Amino acid sequence: MSWDKKLINQANKIIKQYPQKRSALGPLLHLAQSKDGYISDDSIEVISELIGITEVQVKSVSTFYSMYKQEPTGKYLISVCKSISCEISNSSDVIKKVQEITGLNNNETDEEGIFTFEKVECIGACGGAPAIQINYETVEGMTPESTESLFNWLKENQPKVIVADILQEKFGGTRSFEWGIKDNSGTIASVPGFQNFNTVGESK
Amino acid sequence: MNEMVKINVNGIEIQADNNKLLIEACEDSGIHIPRFCWHKRLDPVGMCRMCLVEVDTPRGKALVPSCTTKVTPNLVVDTESEVVKKAQEGVLEFLLINHPLDCPICDKAGECPLQDQTVSYGPGESRFVEEKRHFEKPISISEIILLDRERCILCARCTRFSDEISGDPLIEFVQRGNKTEVNTFPNEPFRSYFSGNTVQICPVGALTSTSYRFKARPWDLKATTSTCNGCTVGCTVELNASQNKMLRILGVDNDSVNQGWLCDKGRYNFEFLNNQSRLKESLEKVNEKFEIISNKDLINKLKNKILNNENKVKFLLGTNLTNEEYAAFNEFSALISKSKSDFYLSDDYLFNGYFEKNISLATFNNLDTADTIVIWSEDIKENLPILYLRVRQAVKNGTKLIILGHNNSTLKDIASDFYSSDIIDENFELKVQPENLKNLKDAVIGKNVTAIIGKSSPYQNKKSLDLLVSFLNENSNLSLLNSFSKGNSFGAFQNLDSVKGLPDLCKDFEEDLPEVLFIVGADPIGSSVLTNKITSILEKINCIVSLDLFIHQTNELANYVVPMNSTVSEKEGTFTNIEFRSSKINKITPSPGKALSENEFLSNLLSSLGKSTDFLSVHELNTKVAENNFNQVNKITFDELDKPSNFDGIISGKEVNINCTFFIEDKSLYYVGRKLYGDSVTQRNSQSISILGSKKYIQANLSTIKTLDLEAGKCYIEQNGLKLSSELIINENIPDGLIYFPINRRNFVKYNFAEKINISNISNEDILSVQ
Amino acid sequence: MKETVLLTKRMRDFPSDSHLIDIYEKSNGYKVAKKTLSKSSPEEVLKEIQDSNIKGRGGAGFPTGTKWGMLVEDKEKYLVINADESEPGTFKDRILLERDPHQLIEGMIITCFAANIDKAFIYIRGEYAKPARRVQNAVEQAYSKGYLGKKIFGTNMNLDIVVHLGAGAYICGEETALLNSLEGRRGEPRLKPPFYPAVKGLYMKPTLVNNVETISSVPWIVENTGAEYNKLGVEGSTGTRIFSLSGHINKPGNYEIEMGSSFGEFVETLGEGVRNNKKIKAFIPGGASAPWLTGEQLEIKMTIDDVAKNNSMLGSGAVVMMDEDTNLVNAAKSIVSFFAHESCGQCTPCREGTTWLEMILDRVASGRGRSSDLELLLDVCDNISPGLSWPPKMTTICPLGPSAVSPITSLMKNFREEVENMIPTKVLL
Ligand SMILES: Cc1cc2nc3c(=O)[nH]c(=O)nc-3n(C[C@H](O)[C@H](O)[C@H](O)COP(=O)(O)O)c2cc1C
Ligand code: SF4
Ligand code: FES
Repeated sequence: MSWDKKLINQANKIIKQYPQKRSALGPLLHLAQSKDGYISDDSIEVISELIGITEVQVKSVSTFYSMYKQEPTGKYLISVCKSISCEISNSSDVIKKVQEITGLNNNETDEEGIFTFEKVECIGACGGAPAIQINYETVEGMTPESTESLFNWLKENQPKVIVADILQEKFGGTRSFEWGIKDNSGTIASVPGFQNFNTVGESK
Repeated sequence: MNEMVKINVNGIEIQADNNKLLIEACEDSGIHIPRFCWHKRLDPVGMCRMCLVEVDTPRGKALVPSCTTKVTPNLVVDTESEVVKKAQEGVLEFLLINHPLDCPICDKAGECPLQDQTVSYGPGESRFVEEKRHFEKPISISEIILLDRERCILCARCTRFSDEISGDPLIEFVQRGNKTEVNTFPNEPFRSYFSGNTVQICPVGALTSTSYRFKARPWDLKATTSTCNGCTVGCTVELNASQNKMLRILGVDNDSVNQGWLCDKGRYNFEFLNNQSRLKESLEKVNEKFEIISNKDLINKLKNKILNNENKVKFLLGTNLTNEEYAAFNEFSALISKSKSDFYLSDDYLFNGYFEKNISLATFNNLDTADTIVIWSEDIKENLPILYLRVRQAVKNGTKLIILGHNNSTLKDIASDFYSSDIIDENFELKVQPENLKNLKDAVIGKNVTAIIGKSSPYQNKKSLDLLVSFLNENSNLSLLNSFSKGNSFGAFQNLDSVKGLPDLCKDFEEDLPEVLFIVGADPIGSSVLTNKITSILEKINCIVSLDLFIHQTNELANYVVPMNSTVSEKEGTFTNIEFRSSKINKITPSPGKALSENEFLSNLLSSLGKSTDFLSVHELNTKVAENNFNQVNKITFDELDKPSNFDGIISGKEVNINCTFFIEDKSLYYVGRKLYGDSVTQRNSQSISILGSKKYIQANLSTIKTLDLEAGKCYIEQNGLKLSSELIINENIPDGLIYFPINRRNFVKYNFAEKINISNISNEDILSVQ
Repeated sequence: MKETVLLTKRMRDFPSDSHLIDIYEKSNGYKVAKKTLSKSSPEEVLKEIQDSNIKGRGGAGFPTGTKWGMLVEDKEKYLVINADESEPGTFKDRILLERDPHQLIEGMIITCFAANIDKAFIYIRGEYAKPARRVQNAVEQAYSKGYLGKKIFGTNMNLDIVVHLGAGAYICGEETALLNSLEGRRGEPRLKPPFYPAVKGLYMKPTLVNNVETISSVPWIVENTGAEYNKLGVEGSTGTRIFSLSGHINKPGNYEIEMGSSFGEFVETLGEGVRNNKKIKAFIPGGASAPWLTGEQLEIKMTIDDVAKNNSMLGSGAVVMMDEDTNLVNAAKSIVSFFAHESCGQCTPCREGTTWLEMILDRVASGRGRSSDLELLLDVCDNISPGLSWPPKMTTICPLGPSAVSPITSLMKNFREEVENMIPTKVLL
C-alpha cells in the first residue's frame, strides 16, 4: 500500500465514524486528493482495500463527482461560476479574463502546476455574482479588473493558505450577505479545507 | 402473498400475479412492452425509460415505467396510447443520438433489441445533427470479452449482473450524465467466471466475445435446445451452429436450473469441436507409433481379443457420456462377459454419497425455501458454478449460509459462519462435534436445511462428513445435494450396475490385471492424483482401447484409439443432473471424419461377435433408460422430455450403484482442489479459453509464505525429479500453514501430495533463463 | 415591507461571532433543547411541529410534521440534514451554516429527541468549505460541552453527529441521491417506491431527511409553540422563509420574511429596486428548476399556493431577477447547461435530452440556429416532460430532467420572438 501510516490511521478514524464502512468512501477520496492533488489509481487501490469494494467500484463513485479530479490539479484550483445569476452578471467576462491571463481552457492545468482553471456550476454566491473560488474559498463580486489583480497577487505571493476573507477584502466586491465575521482559517490544498482531510490551514 | 388479481390493459381485463411487475404480468398475457434495461433475472433499475406506460391515478393519467410498477388490483393501464407511443419514440431517438450506425459490421445485428425496436417503435430520420459521442473502438476488457463503448446504451445490465448475480463487480459505470460509460479498472480486467452472460444480455453489440466475434449472422444460424454436460448442474442451453459448425452456446432460462445463466466454461468450452487436431480416424499402435486403421479391421482385431478374454474385459469411463451410452456399455458388458462387470469412473472426488432412504434429496429450488444452507464440499464456484449462483441468490433473498471446510471462501462474505481451520484440520477432519458449534446448532435445529455435501479433497475421509450429515438429518428438516461435480455422473450411477472409483481400480487391477481395458472419454493420467500408480498399471495391460475426441496423456498408452462423437452437439440422448433431473442432449452438428457414437461402435463390435444389437439404437436405449427410472408416470423418454410442460426436465431417480470401497488413504500434506479452468484436453483445444487454465500457480497466505521463508512470485516446485516453474500467490483465504495446489494444472497431479514437495523462489537470473 | 427575523436574529445581533458557542449560549442557545429533553415528551415536540404547519424549505415543500409522523419504528434510525444547497440562485442555507451552526445543531438535538434517533449526519456540499468548517467546529464545541455524545445534558439521550462533505454533484440534493451518496455510492436518485426515506432511507433504515432551514426553525417553534409560528405568514405558507434574491437588483441578498407579500414589493423595498432603474423582463421565483414568470407578473404573492397557481413554484426560495437587457436565450442556455452537467445519467431522456437541448440552444445563441429549431426544442422538451404542463409530467426517475424543460417552455411561451430573432433569416435563391 502506498499510503503511509499516518494517512491510514486517519482513514481508519474516518471509517469509524460511519455505521457502514462504505459510507467513508467520499471522505476517503477527499483524503486521497489532499495527498496527490487528484484521485490516483494507487489511492483507488488503497481505498478499495480499506473498505472492501473493488477498484472499479471506487472509480465509479469517484468519477461521478466533479470535485474528485482525475488528473493532477495545480496548487490553486480556480473555479469560476457560470450558472444563471453569475451568467446574467457577466461572469463570462471574468472567465475570459482568467483564460487570457492563464492561457488555460476549461479543466486545464498550467505547466508549472500553479493554476488549474475550471468553469463550475452555482457555488451558492449568487447574491455576490459573479463569484469565483480559489481552492474552494469563495470570493464574490468579481470584475475582470479585480480578477487580474487577484491573479497577480496569487502569482507573486503564492500563499500557502488561501483565506476567503482576505481575498474578499483585497479583491472582492458585492457580497451575498454582510459577512461581519472575520475568520482567518483557510485551505492549504485544492481540496475543501476540513480537518478530516488534513487540509485546514492554520489561522493567519 | 401471491394472488391473481384483475387488471385492465388496453381496455381488456386480464388476470395478473400481484407479486409481479407490470411489464412481466403483461408479458404473461401476451402483451409486449418494449424495454432495454429490464431483465427478468435482475433487479429493476428503471433507467432506459423505454417501458413507459400510462396508468390511471386519482390525479389523472400518469406515465410510469412498467418495469418498476407492481401489479395492484384494478389497475388500469394503457400500453399503446398516443402519449406512450410518443414517449417511446422519444426514448429511441435519444438512444440513437449517440449510437453508431455500424449494424453492418456488428455481431448483434439481426438479434439486436435496439435495431428491432427502432424498426417497430422508432422515429424516422434523425433530427440530431451534432457530432456523436466517440470512444476508442473495441477495447478488450478480459481475455475473452470486448467492449465497444460507443454502442453502449447504459442499461446497466452487465453491471447489475456482475454485482448482483455473480458477485464480482469488476465492470461499472464511470463518469456521470452524458459522459457516463461502462468500463473496468485499468489493472483489474473483467475476469469473471460468468462474464459471458453479460454478452448474452447486452441489448446492443457493446459487449462481444472473442469466441463469436464476426463468426456469423443470426439469420444464418441453426439452433437447438440442449443440456450442458460441463458439470452436474446440467444447465439448459441453446446450441447455435452454421454450416455444420458449432459457433455459440447461449443460456436458456430454465426456472428450476440455471435461470438463463451459464458459466464461461460451459459457454465457451465447445470450440474444441472444430479443432484440427480432433481424431478423425481410428488408430492402432504399431512400433510405438499410431497408424491409421480402418474401422472394419479394428473391429475384427478387437473381436478376437474379446473372444479370448471374456472375463478379463474392464471399463474405465469418463463422466461425459449420455445415459443411453452408459446403458449401452452396461448391456455390452453383460453380453460379452459371464460375470458381472465393474465400471470405474474417472473422478478423484467419488465417494458413496448419501443416498440412504431416510435422507431426502434436494432440488435447487429447495435452496430458495430453506432457512439455512449448509455447505461442506468441493469448491462450488469452481466446480458447480451455477449452483454457486443459486446459493448466492438464495442468501440474497434471506437464507442463512453456513460453510465448513477450507473451500468455498468465495462465499465467505455472504456466509453467516465460515468454519475452517479453527475446527477442521488439514485433512478435513472435524476437531469439534457438530453439536458443539453453537451458530450451526442455532441455524439448524428445527429448521428447513438444504445441505451440499461432498468430498472437499481427494484425500478427505468420510468420517466427519458422516457426523455432520447425521447431525443435520436428526435435528433439522434436511434435504441434501450430493456434490459430485463431474458431467453426467448421476447418469452413470443410475445406468451402470456397479460404479467404482480410481483407488478401487488401482487396488483391483493390482490383484487381477484385465486383458482388455476400454477407456472411454477419460484421461485419468492427466487429471487424477493417483496418476503415477495408474500409469504403471496401464503400462502393464496388453490391450487398451480408448474411445475419445483427442489424443491425451492417457490414451497415448493405448493400443487402439477410436474417434468418437462429442456429447456437445454431436449426439442425442439424456442427461441426469445432481438433482436427478433429466433433460435432453441434442445434436446440431455432424462429427468429423469417421467418428462414431459409442452406440454405433458397440453395435458393430457386438454384431461381429454374433450378438444381438437390437437395443443399440438410441431410441431403444432411451426406452431402457426410462424404464430404469422411479418415475413411471413421467418417464424420461425423448417424447416426454420434448413436451413443453417438461421444459424444466423431469426429476426421477433410482437407487444409485456406487461401490467405492475406499478412499485415498494417504494423508495429504497439501491443500488441493480443482479450478474451473484447467488443463483438460477439451479446454486445451478450445482456443479462446485455453490460456485461462494454463497458468501454473500455487497459493498460501502471507504468514505461511513467511514461515516457509519464501516470497510471493516465481518459484520452482520440485519432487522426485519433477521440477516445474510456477507462481506463488498470496491468498489470505487459504488457512494458516497450508499450501494450495490447483491439481488441474498441467502435470501438477504427478506430485505425491502425501510427501514433501520442495518449493524455492527463483532468483532474478533464473527468471531470465526460464522465460 | 419588513423582515421578520426568527432564524437570522442572532447573526444580526452578534455580527462578528454568532457562530461561537459562547455567544450562542449567551443568547438563549441550547436552553430549548435542555428544557425539552428534561421536561417534554417526544409526542409534545411532534405536536408543536405539526401545529406550526411548517413546510420543508428544501424545495419540495412537504409538511414537516407529516414527514416526522411517517417515520417508521426501528432500532436503527437516522436524521440526515440536507445541506447540499446547489440550486442555482440559492444561498440561504449557506448563512445558516456559516453564521449560526449551533442553531442547526440544537434543532437536530430536538428533532432526534422527538424521533428517538441517536445518529445524525449533516451532508454539506463539498464546495461549501468554509460553512462546513464552521459546522464541524460547532459540532466539536457541542461535544466538548456535553451537548452531543452520550447522555446529553445529563439525560438518557445519546446523539452523534457526523459532518459529511459532498463532492460536487447537484443531484445529491435530491434526498434519495443524497442517501446513496452518503452510503458511498454514486449519487443517483433511487427508484420510487419506496417513496419515503422515513420508511426506507439510509441503509434502508427509516430516515428523516430535512433541509437546513427547516431544522434550524425547530428551536424557535418549540420555544414559542407551533401555534405562534402558524400565525406568521399566510395559510399554507406559515412562518418565515429566507429568500435568496439575486440578479439585476440593487441590493441582492438573503431576506427572512413572512410569506404573503408580492415579488414586486420585495424587489422594490428590500431589494431596493432594479439596477439602473431598468424594468424586469422575466424572473425566476424559486430556483433554476422553476418556470420563469414575466415582468408583468411581479404582483403575484410570494406564497407556495399563489406561485403554484401561476404555473411555477416557490421551490428553494431563490428569486432571480432579469432586467430588460438580459439575453434570455443565453439565460436559458445557462440553466439547461446546468441541468445537462448535473444529470446523473440514469434516465435516457434526461441524460441525452438535456445535452441535446443544450446543443440546440448553443446553436441558436451563436447565430447558427435553424428555423426548425424552435419546434425541435419544444418537441425534445415534450419527450422529457410530455405535454409540457405544470407541475411537469415526467418520463424520468426524478424531477431533474423535467426541470431543464422549464426555462425553454417559459422562453417559448412568453419570449418566442426573442428566440426567432436569433435565427438567421434564410437567404432565398
Ligand atoms: C433535483 C433535486 C435537487 C434538490 N436539491 C436540494 C437541496 O440542495 N437542498 C435541499 O434541502 N433539498 C433539495 N431537494 C429536495 C430534497 O429532495 C428534499 O425534498 C428535502 O431535502 C427535504 O427536506 P425538507 O422537507 O426540510 O424541505 C432537491 C430535490 C431535487 C429533486
Ligand atoms: S431525471 Fe436525470 S437526474 Fe433524475 S434520476 Fe433521471 S437521469 Fe438522474
Ligand atoms: S449563480 Fe453563480 S453563484 Fe449562484
